[in-house]
Amino acid sequence: MTSPVKSSLEHQLKALLPRGRVLTSAAQLAGYGADGLGYKNHLPDAVVIPADAEELAGFMRGAKALGVPVVMRGAGTSLSGGPVAVQGGVVVHTSALKKIREINTEGFWCEVECGVGLNDLDAALKPYGVFYPPDPSSGPVCTLGGNVASNAGGAHCFRYGVTSNYVLGVEAIMLDGSLHRFGGPAGGRGPWREDWKRFMIGSEGTLAAFTRFWLRLLPLPEKVWTFRATYPDMKTTEAAIHALVAHSSYPAAIEMLDPRGVAMVESSQMACGLPEGSFMLLVEIDGPEALVNARVQSVAELLRQAGSNDVMFSDEEALRQKLWKARKASGGLLGQLSPSYVVQDAVIPKRALAEVLQLVYDEADAANIRAVNIFHAGDGNLHPNFLFDSRVPGELEKVELISKRLMQRVIEVGGTLSGEHGIGNDKSAYMPLVFGPDSMRLQLSVPAAFNPAHQMNPLKVFDNRHFVA
Amino acid sequence: MSTEAMTPDYFSNCTHCGFCLAVCPTYKLTGDENNSPRGRLRLWSEEAAGRLPQDKWTDFYTAECVGCLACETACPATVPYGEIFEHIRHEHVASHRFKPKLALRLAAAAVTRPMLFNLALLPARLLRKAGFKLHRFLFPGRPAALKSTAAYAEELMQRHRPTGPRVAFLTGCLMEAMFREINFATVRVLIENNVQVIIPESQGCCGAFQEHTGLDGVEALREQNRRAFGSLDVDAIVCNSSGCGYALGKTLQPGKQVRDVLGYLGDLSPVRRQRGRDDGTRVYVDLPCHLVHGQKAAGIPANVLDATGYRWELAPKAKDCCGSGGVYNIQKPENAHTILADKSAFLNEAKGAPVILGTSNHVCMMQWHSAGATGLVTRPFEVRHIIQLLDPGENFSIPSTSPQP
Ligand SMILES: Cc1cc2nc3c(=O)[nH]c(=O)nc-3n(C[C@H](O)[C@H](O)[C@H](O)COP(=O)(O)OP(=O)(O)OC[C@H]3O[C@@H](n4cnc5c(N)ncnc54)[C@H](O)[C@@H]3O)c2cc1C
Ligand code: SF4
Ligand code: SF4
Repeated sequence: MTSPVKSSLEHQLKALLPRGRVLTSAAQLAGYGADGLGYKNHLPDAVVIPADAEELAGFMRGAKALGVPVVMRGAGTSLSGGPVAVQGGVVVHTSALKKIREINTEGFWCEVECGVGLNDLDAALKPYGVFYPPDPSSGPVCTLGGNVASNAGGAHCFRYGVTSNYVLGVEAIMLDGSLHRFGGPAGGRGPWREDWKRFMIGSEGTLAAFTRFWLRLLPLPEKVWTFRATYPDMKTTEAAIHALVAHSSYPAAIEMLDPRGVAMVESSQMACGLPEGSFMLLVEIDGPEALVNARVQSVAELLRQAGSNDVMFSDEEALRQKLWKARKASGGLLGQLSPSYVVQDAVIPKRALAEVLQLVYDEADAANIRAVNIFHAGDGNLHPNFLFDSRVPGELEKVELISKRLMQRVIEVGGTLSGEHGIGNDKSAYMPLVFGPDSMRLQLSVPAAFNPAHQMNPLKVFDNRHFVA
Repeated sequence: MSTEAMTPDYFSNCTHCGFCLAVCPTYKLTGDENNSPRGRLRLWSEEAAGRLPQDKWTDFYTAECVGCLACETACPATVPYGEIFEHIRHEHVASHRFKPKLALRLAAAAVTRPMLFNLALLPARLLRKAGFKLHRFLFPGRPAALKSTAAYAEELMQRHRPTGPRVAFLTGCLMEAMFREINFATVRVLIENNVQVIIPESQGCCGAFQEHTGLDGVEALREQNRRAFGSLDVDAIVCNSSGCGYALGKTLQPGKQVRDVLGYLGDLSPVRRQRGRDDGTRVYVDLPCHLVHGQKAAGIPANVLDATGYRWELAPKAKDCCGSGGVYNIQKPENAHTILADKSAFLNEAKGAPVILGTSNHVCMMQWHSAGATGLVTRPFEVRHIIQLLDPGENFSIPSTSPQP
């Protein structure tokens, strides 16, 4: 039975989106209940798929009057409960806004709509000899809108930096329908006195709907060498990480898989011959050919010195693709082991790496929960994956308890809550562990300034950020 | 296929990572997550768990799936999407939530009786042979009207007496009844490569038709083929249509090796055709979904494509679906047409004279042919099965250097 309220919402939405789609049936909403955390379900009241940027703008002009929350959604790969309607309302799916509007190789920038897929952009840039460096592992599917809104990182962000380092400008539409451009192809502040584009990046859909971006590009590196080294224990792995970080070759990426991650890769179709029980480092150096070629041996030597007798390196594209595919698909591979998982995203000073990882194993073992660590080791950005079965009563609670203890320790050692996945709804409860009341009040005043009733993506980042109609 | 209801457990290894969205033709077409693998799995699992009542939209999104299985290849969690989908589709048909089109229901009944089916399509074979353009799907060819592939193979076996490996050949239902010339070419190519070809008389349709439509009867066909092929003493069972190969593979495995004929020839380094030095032909090779995503083959071996003697390259987006999807282009012609429009656009500008679109599945051939017949591709091009490009013609002999047993 459709309630009168719902059918009036449907009616209004259809008027706002004459060309796009409006979904309101139970089975049409079901596909939009979750993001990358599949076990959590928050059904929206409606989903809209604007046909293009103009229609999205039209929708935003009328959205405030709808009196329900508005939740932006790109590919829905967020791992923090970001693009889901926790307080109900309308999910706005940007899947039709896929135009790459310009690739400017003289100025090294491109202009893209928010729904462009990351790897689609990569493929389009390649023939021009340029690239857009941030590379979250969800690249085959995630959108630039989601990347900017969560300030995504990725394996190569160790040297290249995260999304915010590459956003020159953001076009955003507020809930009053006004359109604003923060920055632009020339970067800087645009017509604004201060760099407000930085408010937009990482705002997790709480401020505005982004329609397009101007992104900074770099020339493709001339030469890339990829290294794969395995270690018998965490101590030697950690030694290698420290040495790499300090090394003059300045690696582009330093990634780690623990033995459970290695076992998972080896039992999949992505197996690449990693020894059982080993910790694996995946390292890359890139740059001008003569320069990087000259550094290859010293990096291999460093990896050996730290305690590996299994160092392989190659400049072959096929091998490189294979190793990265295994690394990047590993999040999905977890499905072979367990129906559900929670992934934490803490960042810690690298000196505390071995200690915090041990805590992860100890806590998980004690609670009889499996933990797999696959992460951006260079930045100290941990991703412990806790595997559980959401249908078994009490399992999720155990995972939440471990997560909380882990977070407390992370903060004690001087770390923080999230490196790249965002806070969303999943990690908002930990915010007070990191930020005091004054800081929380200050941070909350930002979304309050942009949409005072918190109509944009309520109950995200701050768990008391309710929309009050 | 079991007929028990799906339990929520069945869906549980989907982590909701979304990697499958990017490759799904119906998601690309509509931008609607419900019309994606992750979305469909969600609808089915929510319904199985009792959280979502039966809904006409679930039926709609289920029917929208092409069954291309690109999502299986993309899925890191190895969710058996194809198996789940087949089960759900059968359930939907059995409970009248979905009704395949009348033409498909009739055809599904007909393929279970090969003699009748062959007879019914005799006029169509005659008209094709005479060069009539019958339908947008019917690519030109000159099938034998009366002689069966089995009779033909026996004749050639007697004449050439190959001594190499022994294979059993699935001749297929539509392949035999309508596109028999491709079966004949397959027999010639195999025998020229010194392969002994056996065609079990008692074989039946592979069951793909039933799988694609969700109609009953697949288990009987599978049983028939288990009996026909199961106890043969052969080196391999080969198929020249990747959809049939995929279906037969599921039926006979584990135990029997079912191979795509082109993959099999790749192992033998097939005899190479010579072409004129100034031959301007260009072959664009498309890879059928049921070859790369169903059978999980890497592609068509390069040595086989080289052996055609033509200049070839992979068609752009070669691993993406062309929209044929078994019977999808009949069940959902508008979607199939839009998918094909995107995929075939390159042919208008493609280099080469003549231009050949080469593939290895008759249903894809029909779909590609319709690109010309419906005006999506305005320049002339031919659709050919790769095996036809290796065809030595009627007058051939087995080279003395051929592989020996
Ligand atoms: C297997 C896997 C691996 C991953 N690896 C990484 C990784 O290495 N690094 C990393 O940083 N992340 C990673 N992620 C997390 C996720 O992919 C990223 O956060 C990504 O940026 C999300 O993009 P999306 O298009 O899916 O956005 P969504 O998940 O749809 O949305 C994410 C957030 O952005 C907001 N948003 C989306 N579009 C807009 C818009 N147009 N305007 C305003 N707000 C918007 C949403 O409201 C939501 O808060 C991974 C996820 C998975 C499943
Ligand atoms: S089989 Fe093809 S159409 Fe169906 S869900 Fe998978 S990718 Fe999409
Ligand atoms: S790729 Fe596999 S695990 Fe990921 S959402 Fe699709 S079906 Fe689920």
